[in-house]
Amino acid sequence: MDIFLTRLFAGMTAGSIYAMIALTLVIVFRSSATINFAQGEFALFTTYISWWLSERGWNIWVTLIPAVIIGFVLCAAAERFLVRPVRRRDEAAVLIVGLALFTGLNGLSGTIWGSDDKVYPRLVPVSIDSFLDIAGARLFYDSLFVMGALVVIVGGLSLLMSRTNLGLQMRAVATNQESAGLCGIKVGRVFMISWGLAGAIGAVAAAILVPILPPGQLGLPGMFHMLIFGTVAAILGGLDSIKGAVVGGLSLGVGLAMINGYGSALGGSISLTVALVVVVAVLGLRPSGLFGSKRLERV
Amino acid sequence: MSTLIDKNTAAPSQDSGPSEGRRGPRIILRGSSTHRAIIAAGLAVAAIVVFWGGTLQPFEQGQLTRAAIFAIAILGLNFTTGYVGLLSVGHSAFLGLGAYTTGVLVVNYNQTALSTIPVAMAICFVVGLLVGIPALRIRGLYLAIVTLALGVAFPEIVARLGGLTGGAEGLTIRRTLLRPPEWSGFTLGEKDQWLYWLTIVCLVLAFVVLRNIIKGRYGMAMNAVRQNEIAAAASGVNIAAVKLFSFAVSGAITGLAGSLFAMYIGSLFAEGSFTVLAGITLLIGLVVGGERTMAGPIIGGLVVVFLPYYTSDIGGGQASAVLFAIVLIAVVFVAPDGIAGGIRRLVRRFVRVEAQRPAGAGQVLPSAPDAAPVARRGSED
Repeated sequence: MDIFLTRLFAGMTAGSIYAMIALTLVIVFRSSATINFAQGEFALFTTYISWWLSERGWNIWVTLIPAVIIGFVLCAAAERFLVRPVRRRDEAAVLIVGLALFTGLNGLSGTIWGSDDKVYPRLVPVSIDSFLDIAGARLFYDSLFVMGALVVIVGGLSLLMSRTNLGLQMRAVATNQESAGLCGIKVGRVFMISWGLAGAIGAVAAAILVPILPPGQLGLPGMFHMLIFGTVAAILGGLDSIKGAVVGGLSLGVGLAMINGYGSALGGSISLTVALVVVVAVLGLRPSGLFGSKRLERV
Repeated sequence: MSTLIDKNTAAPSQDSGPSEGRRGPRIILRGSSTHRAIIAAGLAVAAIVVFWGGTLQPFEQGQLTRAAIFAIAILGLNFTTGYVGLLSVGHSAFLGLGAYTTGVLVVNYNQTALSTIPVAMAICFVVGLLVGIPALRIRGLYLAIVTLALGVAFPEIVARLGGLTGGAEGLTIRRTLLRPPEWSGFTLGEKDQWLYWLTIVCLVLAFVVLRNIIKGRYGMAMNAVRQNEIAAAASGVNIAAVKLFSFAVSGAITGLAGSLFAMYIGSLFAEGSFTVLAGITLLIGLVVGGERTMAGPIIGGLVVVFLPYYTSDIGGGQASAVLFAIVLIAVVFVAPDGIAGGIRRLVRRFVRVEAQRPAGAGQVLPSAPDAAPVARRGSED
């Protein structure tokens, strides 16, 4: 039982992080109908900024403020100046802009800060005895912190979506861009803000995940794996559903932890493969994810 | 601008008069002597470039071989992602599967490298069929995750089958095992020369075969499926067959590239050469070269090999990635339909190739040029 709980907690922790990344992808998808491949690299860049400031003696919590602002501005600017000019022309072009940003931002981070791994400070300091004992299993405070962060982000996001004028506009654009535009919503502005929001959440998520997930250090290649996990989570849940991103992220995290823990016959080395096969099977049953809306087509 | 128009409007309208109407692009009839001459000239230029490549120094020639290998792989990707519209980010798996088939057969089963090519293609064809099955139900970006799964799974499975594939240490094919066959006339020392010509022959064959499929009845079905599945099905296109077949052929062609890649590189590391990043590279090559164009994959192959090479020349190390990204974005902004598409648009402003109107046919529908060969083929069946 305690081993099961330990694995469950580990899975929930990782899953919360996947869910945060999935959220950023979903927010972008709801406005632009594309997966932003560079999402992880935007977050990588802001985390480097946060690291750099903390090296200058800033408190790590304070460095999050400029990181989030820069994440917002960078993503919004990318949408406005790089994605929007090509998106009317071709879907493939948007994809390539994303891939170019992916390569370019990674290279930029490497050029500015070097390619060696950096030690990124933990937001919540941990010692050996900083855990809750639940039926013999240890639930560390930083795991609690990660799950709490997810709850706060999702809560804030749902409040934004349901209670504010901006949220209403974002939902309208997600439902039907043309009608939203005809109602006087500045669709372009909503796109920009959506991207910026995704960038800001990504900045927070990266600052939380870097010290927790292996290798526990800030390095150039780290975010690509996170992007894959986040994409899988988002697609499992349904690309346009915020609820789906959370469910998808958590179930992916828990599922991977369980496969790693119990499925030694399957082999820990191919756990990601097993998880992906399960996701593909789920998609076979529900082609637009668990909570994704079906697109109707007019012939 | 205005002065330019002022100068021009007067002169041509008097020159050409009402007989010409407006000055449009020059029209060349398909099959006319001019058209044939242009095609012959194009082929001659291609042949000269290929033979010039044969005389290059080993390093430059190696780069060219690599570009040709990637061109074959992108040709395969273009077949399914370009024409049928099934987005694949995991074609690296087919590349790797082809490479490892050749590697394992040569190292563990003492086959000659050349004889492994059909085996590699057959295996990739079957795997392509299997991967195509989810595509029957899953669409768009959701389908991309299926191919992503394939791309992610491949290195993990290779590591898992360590006994056969060498696992994480990789698989090294000794140079003597890649000896060119006797009949080719190349010695072991000229292995790179042999590989260059082998790759070129494979590229030409793949190009011709795929071109014939695409220009024919089947190609129309592929385009129809991409544009609107329901309408295609209503017109009698077997969507399932088109999707499965295109995925399988695409896999086989990319597997061919993988097989050649194994001979070229000699030592295989799944974690290095065949990750999802390689699949993304192929996708970049395809879109930058030009989706749904025949020349696109070849341009794309040259781009993905030579562009990083030159950008790393200018800005060392990490800066090259930034430069690569800037060039990519510039290409997308200048030519959204790829380099080949951009060139085609440019050329069409001046010269346009049109089908000959059959003499005596009263009303010719606009679709007649494409429909004619199909009708002929249909009657042969």
